[in-house]
Amino acid sequence: MTRWLDVEVGTDDIDLITLPSNLALVDLQNDNEFKLVVGDLGRGEEGPKLKVFKGAMQISDTILPDLPLGVVGFSINESMPRSVPLIAVAYSSCVYMYRNLKIFYKYYLPSSELNMCEIEVWKQLTNPSYHNIESLQSLTDSLGAIPHKLLSPQSQNLLDLTPDQQLEYLENITDVPSKKNAEIVCITTLKLHSIEREKSVCILKRDWPEGRILFNTDEHIIAVEVVTADNSVMVICADNTLACYSKKGKKQWCLTLEHRPVAMTLVPVLHLGVTLTAVALATGHVHLYDGKARRDTIFVRDLVSVMKFGQLGQEEHVLIIVTGGGNLMLKILKRTADFSAHAAGVQLSPHAAGGQRPWLIPKKSKLFLEQSVRERENAVSMHQTFQHELNRLRLLAAKTLLEAHVKSDNSIGIGPMDSLRLTAEVEGLGPVFRVTLIIENTSKEKAVIGLAILFHVHTINYKVSNPYIKVPLLSPGGKLKFPTKIEEVFDDQINPDVLFRPVTGQGGERSLVKVLLVKEGKTTPILAATVQMPPTDPMMLPFDKMQAAAGLESNEDSNWFTKT
Amino acid sequence: MGLLDKLSVWLGRGKAEVTVLVLGLDNSGKSTLLNALRAPEQRVAHTTPTVAQQQEHFQSGGVSFSAWDVSGAPRHRALWERHYRRAHAVIFVVDSADHLRLVVAREEMELLLAHPDMFGRRVPLLIFANKSDAAHALAPMQVAAALCLERITDKPWHICASCALSGAGIADGVTWLARQLRDGLVPTQHT
Ligand SMILES: Nc1nc2c(ncn2[C@@H]2O[C@H](COP(=O)(O)OP(=O)(O)OP(=O)(O)O)[C@@H](O)[C@H]2O)c(=O)[nH]1
Ligand SMILES: [Mg+2]
Repeated sequence: MTRWLDVEVGTDDIDLITLPSNLALVDLQNDNEFKLVVGDLGRGEEGPKLKVFKGAMQISDTILPDLPLGVVGFSINESMPRSVPLIAVAYSSCVYMYRNLKIFYKYYLPSSELNMCEIEVWKQLTNPSYHNIESLQSLTDSLGAIPHKLLSPQSQNLLDLTPDQQLEYLENITDVPSKKNAEIVCITTLKLHSIEREKSVCILKRDWPEGRILFNTDEHIIAVEVVTADNSVMVICADNTLACYSKKGKKQWCLTLEHRPVAMTLVPVLHLGVTLTAVALATGHVHLYDGKARRDTIFVRDLVSVMKFGQLGQEEHVLIIVTGGGNLMLKILKRTADFSAHAAGVQLSPHAAGGQRPWLIPKKSKLFLEQSVRERENAVSMHQTFQHELNRLRLLAAKTLLEAHVKSDNSIGIGPMDSLRLTAEVEGLGPVFRVTLIIENTSKEKAVIGLAILFHVHTINYKVSNPYIKVPLLSPGGKLKFPTKIEEVFDDQINPDVLFRPVTGQGGERSLVKVLLVKEGKTTPILAATVQMPPTDPMMLPFDKMQAAAGLESNEDSNWFTKT
Repeated sequence: MGLLDKLSVWLGRGKAEVTVLVLGLDNSGKSTLLNALRAPEQRVAHTTPTVAQQQEHFQSGGVSFSAWDVSGAPRHRALWERHYRRAHAVIFVVDSADHLRLVVAREEMELLLAHPDMFGRRVPLLIFANKSDAAHALAPMQVAAALCLERITDKPWHICASCALSGAGIADGVTWLARQLRDGLVPTQHT
């Protein structure tokens, strides 16, 4: 399953020759529709041009005065409503700014007059009579005495040559340096600048007199990218390697590629929290790496010349590829794409799983810094305020709890417990009856807690299966049912009266069961109810006891039982 | 089924609302389109990108619609599928001037059609090739080809050009949808 959607691009009239630095994605019209701006170097008769693409469609073409070396888009102010972004195009010694694709500002890097001594030396250097080793030596010495950074590039070059080469150089020289032109090597709006020279990567900062060499590589560098998350530097080299260096210049890791790399770009996928490195190989494949682990391969069938990833049009994740043949390819990352190790079918080596990748920790924001300063300065008062608030919160909680407690405290002494109702239902023929007690809280706003039911019976007469029942919280308007089994107990000598109870309907004293509703902490019951138990049906009397009773009675009236 | 039965079903149908999902990429004009279906005095002058979803009601061809306007922003598209189960119909809005993202629209539609809650259901699918007034807007047939609509076999579908700003073309499409729902739903209710 591919993770990329191919956009169809009409190939006929697009013919691009460009550099990685000449591609920019700019919201040119401030309508959140990003355009691709390409500084095209031109081909044959055609001169360099600035081309603007809307999606894959070219919408403008501006002739450039010189070969473009870098194109960036930027807006002057971030305030709303934002002004139309500018495009800056860098040439060898000047920068042109375009607004709405019209030249709006030209900036020439300052050229400085040469040092008088240098001009004097050069006058003699161009004189053939001085073209011998000895006089040359003294002249180069006096050139060397001038601070290196004040010298023109020509003088600097001369000093780097061996005496023989110097002689040869001077024989062929035609024009004498007169002015010193600063040269643009790269243009970018990044804070950290890094440029590549033959085999070393230097780091430049504003106010630094010259670049500092960060690290050297064994082979020629093909492309360099700086990962913004941790400022590490990715480098592809002509010896078919992809290497990662820390911002201090220490080599982190290096892996050998299957083929010669030709282009590289970073692929930050924010919603997945990864920044991949896309490396295009001479075979027409583009490999995507997450750190050292390869996560995806795209076959583009053509030699890649330049790659760039970013927002184009309304689409956030577009991989833009300019092929060696000058074609434009657009690939959109699918919304459902997943580059996790699992999805990519990559076995994580235990080494890689050890958490080599730095965590994505966002930069400390200005707000955070201000807050931390405030916290350091006003630590005591902040602590006090916090404690104060905390105490108030505790007090509020305690008050609320107390209020709830008071409301639910139905003490019998204070208010009548008329909000509680107790009813009982008796079911069954005996000797086991089911007594269901129903407790109802008729109050609208008070809940009741801590209630319990207690059965008060004569243990000779009745056995209650569960004489003490704890009642859970009874919400306002709530109703709870408690079924209990009550068994009538007959002693071995059944009084014959019991057999006549159904007839007389008289249960007598012994058939009363008292139910008490008690409350925790109260010495007197809240409610009491008396349940008159119905007499047990004689047919349900335990048989053995009946026999015993019959046996006793047979002395007086031996046939009574059998008669009935 | 007798004539009276049919009539009563029709009348009953007219009262019940059918749920229609309005889907499409962000900025395709979904909210603008629903805005155009409102009564003139209820319309808003400018639509802003939708967050999450909002509900609209409209009527056409004797059918009351309850339309869910769902945000088309990439991070909200995963929420579309939550509405699939209750949808009786789908309106898919495409910005026919956004050539670059036609592939994205196709991808989202393929995901929609393959979803278990949608696959095999006879849910009418109305596609609006919106922004027909914009420069470089593609014709509906070209949009249909780019979305590979001819491959859809389990649902009746219809594409028409629209301009949500002026309202042109919307009524035609919605009339088709209402007819589909009437013709399609009446028999299934009685089987
Ligand atoms: N030219 C033109 N512009 C349109 C048309 N329909 C909508 N628009 C514009 O497209 C932009 C986006 O419209 P919305 O209706 O907010 O888009 P949406 O599909 O609801 O977007 P989300 O809510 O983000 O998913 C607005 O600026 C509309 O004015 C149309 O038919 N023609
Ligand atoms: Mg919307």
